[in-house]
Amino acid sequence: MTTAEPRLALATRGLTKTYGDGESLVRAVDAVDLEVARGETVAVMGPSGCGKSTLLHLVGGLDRPSSGEIDLAGRRIDRLGERALARLRRTDVGFVFQAFHLMDELTVVENVELPALLAGHSPRRARARAMALLDRVGVEHKAGSLPTALSGGQRQRVAVARALSNEPVLVLADEPTGNLDSAATLDVLRLFEELHESGQTLVIVTHDERIAATADRLITMRDGAFVDETRLTGGTSGRLGALAGFES
Amino acid sequence: MQQEVVLALLAKEPSHGYQLRARLRQALGPVGEAMNAGQVYVVLTRLEKAGLVTTERPERPNPAKTAKDPADRKTYVLTPQGQQRVAEWLTEVSWPKPDLAEFHLKLVAAAAAGLADPLGIVDTQRRELLRRLREAQRAAMAEPDGSDAALLLEGIVLRLQADLRWLEACERSWTTRRSTS
Amino acid sequence: MGRLLLVARLAARDLRRRPAEAALLLLAIAAATTTLTLGLVMHGVAGDPYQRTREATSGPDIVASVALNPFTGAAADPAPLEDLAGADGVTAGSGPFPVAGSEIEVGGQTADVQLIGRSVEPADVDQPAVTDGDWLRDGAVVVEAAFAGALGIEAGDTVTLDGETVEVAGVAVTAAMTPYPWSNCLVLCAPFRDDDGEGEGAAGGGPARPEPQVESLTDPGLVWVMEDELTAFASSPDALSYVTYLQLDDPDSAQAFADARQPQGPGDEDKPFLEPWQHIVEQVTHVERNAQRVLLTGGWLLGILAVASVAVLVGGRMADQTRRVGLLKAVGGTPALVAAVLLAEYVVVALVASAAGLVGGRLAAPAITDRAAGLLGGAAAPSLTAGAVLTVTAVALGVAVLATFVPAIRAARTSTVAALNESARPPRRVGWLVALSSRLPVVLLIALRVAGRRPRRALLGVASVTVTVSGLVAALAAHAELDAQLAANPDPRMERLGDVLVVITVTLVALAAVNTVVSTWATVLDVRHASAVTRALGATPAQLSAGLSLAQVVPAFAGAVLGSIGGPLLYDAVDQEDVVMPPGWWLVAVVAGVVVAVSVLTLVPARLAARRPVAPILQAETA
Repeated sequence: MTTAEPRLALATRGLTKTYGDGESLVRAVDAVDLEVARGETVAVMGPSGCGKSTLLHLVGGLDRPSSGEIDLAGRRIDRLGERALARLRRTDVGFVFQAFHLMDELTVVENVELPALLAGHSPRRARARAMALLDRVGVEHKAGSLPTALSGGQRQRVAVARALSNEPVLVLADEPTGNLDSAATLDVLRLFEELHESGQTLVIVTHDERIAATADRLITMRDGAFVDETRLTGGTSGRLGALAGFES
Repeated sequence: MQQEVVLALLAKEPSHGYQLRARLRQALGPVGEAMNAGQVYVVLTRLEKAGLVTTERPERPNPAKTAKDPADRKTYVLTPQGQQRVAEWLTEVSWPKPDLAEFHLKLVAAAAAGLADPLGIVDTQRRELLRRLREAQRAAMAEPDGSDAALLLEGIVLRLQADLRWLEACERSWTTRRSTS
Repeated sequence: MGRLLLVARLAARDLRRRPAEAALLLLAIAAATTTLTLGLVMHGVAGDPYQRTREATSGPDIVASVALNPFTGAAADPAPLEDLAGADGVTAGSGPFPVAGSEIEVGGQTADVQLIGRSVEPADVDQPAVTDGDWLRDGAVVVEAAFAGALGIEAGDTVTLDGETVEVAGVAVTAAMTPYPWSNCLVLCAPFRDDDGEGEGAAGGGPARPEPQVESLTDPGLVWVMEDELTAFASSPDALSYVTYLQLDDPDSAQAFADARQPQGPGDEDKPFLEPWQHIVEQVTHVERNAQRVLLTGGWLLGILAVASVAVLVGGRMADQTRRVGLLKAVGGTPALVAAVLLAEYVVVALVASAAGLVGGRLAAPAITDRAAGLLGGAAAPSLTAGAVLTVTAVALGVAVLATFVPAIRAARTSTVAALNESARPPRRVGWLVALSSRLPVVLLIALRVAGRRPRRALLGVASVTVTVSGLVAALAAHAELDAQLAANPDPRMERLGDVLVVITVTLVALAAVNTVVSTWATVLDVRHASAVTRALGATPAQLSAGLSLAQVVPAFAGAVLGSIGGPLLYDAVDQEDVVMPPGWWLVAVVAGVVVAVSVLTLVPARLAARRPVAPILQAETA
């Protein structure tokens, strides 16, 4: 981390991604302006096909925009080449996917240390860091197991640990609870809350209202564009009883 | 608060009022936070009048449990009628009715009269529900795993989620109606 | 009946759904069966025309000859040959006929010839069979068929023998002498060749001999002339040799008969030299037998490669097949039906391939076995025996069945639900490889892990390259020896053997190349998801494509090393004669060449895979 850290972890201006052309032109992401402050948790909601996953891939450097700018931690990334984007994914971004995308033939700890190895860290350091991260997400006792032996919630915890491997500026999560039951979802939400408290910047794309409701900021997306933005903070406290039908 | 809840809590053993309150607090967690201290006693008094509960004076008052309220010294016991009432209550299948018709009619009326944009109403409602969801979800996240209250909170969360999904359906429907009209 | 139809229809559907794979499979098996057919056809060819010629010409069991003593200059004496005709066991004989050296000139070409003086009347033993024109008459000669073919001489032509012009009455074949240019020398020949120099009396010479004082011939052709005209055409009419053809009551005892009467060393030069007919057969069929060994070995090597190819192809589509099996079973197919469908597909391919191989091999055989007109029936097409057809078909079917049996059984045994749910074969975990790879550079890390996910495919890769390189090294060694032989001794048949080697080598390499591409492609498809994740985690496309490529190169390197050890062993096994091992730098060059070739072959699929956009793959696999 540099000394002069920009206030924003992520900023996009007029970010656009189109597919096809002419009659069949599809605007997957349409002129999106997004600013995410450091330490902020932003949820992007919308029906499937609204372009929220594409947005995530664009800001994470998995895909290149058709036009518009992306600033990641104060650095323009929208015109970077494949190689530079790969390096960026290695150092500045951590991904968490709906399908976990863990490698089934690698043990939990081997999965978590993979990004560090790809980034060229020594095997010893990568292993130590992976163990620390597994400890942090609470699955250190499963370090030697294969992912298939883990529950969905545990797998997603491992995936989060992997995303944190190289201390990214930004963690990007794509439907992180999409494959999880209610209890496991709660588990992941708690983990995100811990990350949030430790100052990690998070952008989560989801159609799970529970994640959306717990974010600092909720953005609603339709047809590739932002249509609504809400901060849900503010007191409604003491109404839980009413919500449960337990009127006093 | 329903009388049957207090009755049922007495079914296990005769209890003091403060014991009942503590049991309620434990089961409800943050949901029961707004519960008034005297509320249990109000209900108990009503139950006593109805002959479902009687009180006993302790023969050997426990000096360790010095209550502030004189009523607290009493132990409440179920009467046979009270026990019967509990048994009946347990077999009942009543369920809180969600009043969706009201909101639905609100949208229809607003649209018909041109008084307000149904989508605006939906949006406002959605934010309100999200705020509620946020509160419930945060409370749920704060509960330790396996607590009684966590289960209750999960119920709240899931119902709010269902409501939000319905609002989404409302939004979709009213958007297409607007664009086709 | 209905079930059979169902199986056939399902199998046909699936084959049509993936025509490229079916074609590759066909190609792999057809290449192997073609080579095998060639090898088997050659087996029948060797010896057969000679036998026919022997019968047609009353071929001799013993060819006995005496020549002028090259060291003393003493003239040859035909008397011992006449004595031989009366020896025990001899049932018939002809000769002795005089033999003289000469030079033929025709159409501007000159060549050495041996002239054998014969009469117009047919001899009891060795009456050359005329294939063109007529037998001897006054003032006309007859030319041996292979020699005539080589010089382009036909009946009715005019040739010059030692300056004398003479007409060619006809062209004939004989079983008493190996066809040109491997002719036995009845007169003095130079240089003395080890392999067929026995034809002259001076062959088994001692250490301290004086230089031959008589002019000698080089690779002479054979011309029959009227006995009384012989001296007119001879270069040195004084230096005559004599030859006698004998038949024995037991032709199999010819070798023993010869051994008992053979000249034993210095001082024995005046004794006749005896050549048993088996020796001539040996000479005649030498090249064919070598070609046959090469073809059979090549056929087996190609067969092994075909198995590897089929296994990779089949394994690569296992994931897809498993789902299909699930579907089949879900709608009520029994495991037997499922296995039958899977097997049917490959059996159909194998049958077509073996048919193609039989036809291809049968058509290609004459090109390799054609020995011009050296012997009667030599130019006739070699025949396919029922046994050969059966063998080739059985091998092709074996390849298909072997390569599909395990997957078919496994697929059929998989539980229906698991088969429906399972989208892919789960990768295997090779713990030590994962641990080792984490200590290596990123590219190697990716390569070893990719290879480790499918250890059996990696082993097949090793096996495939081992087989190819073994074949390649053996072929190179054989080629080198052949070149050396050809340099000393040009022979169209040996050149053709060289062509056979080249064809087999090229087929072997081509099949191995196909294997490599197929294997790379299967790997690329297989690790598509893992590749996408790896790239999402920060591997560059260059690292990934290098890794995918290396995942093939590493087993190929292992295979090349094994093959360069196995190659000489294979060559040793195929060629029973003294083997000149190829020099070490050859093997190093072959290994390096294989590594480069595999890198190049895998480059395109690996690059394509590594540059594919990542996002859609990660999206598509959310389920």
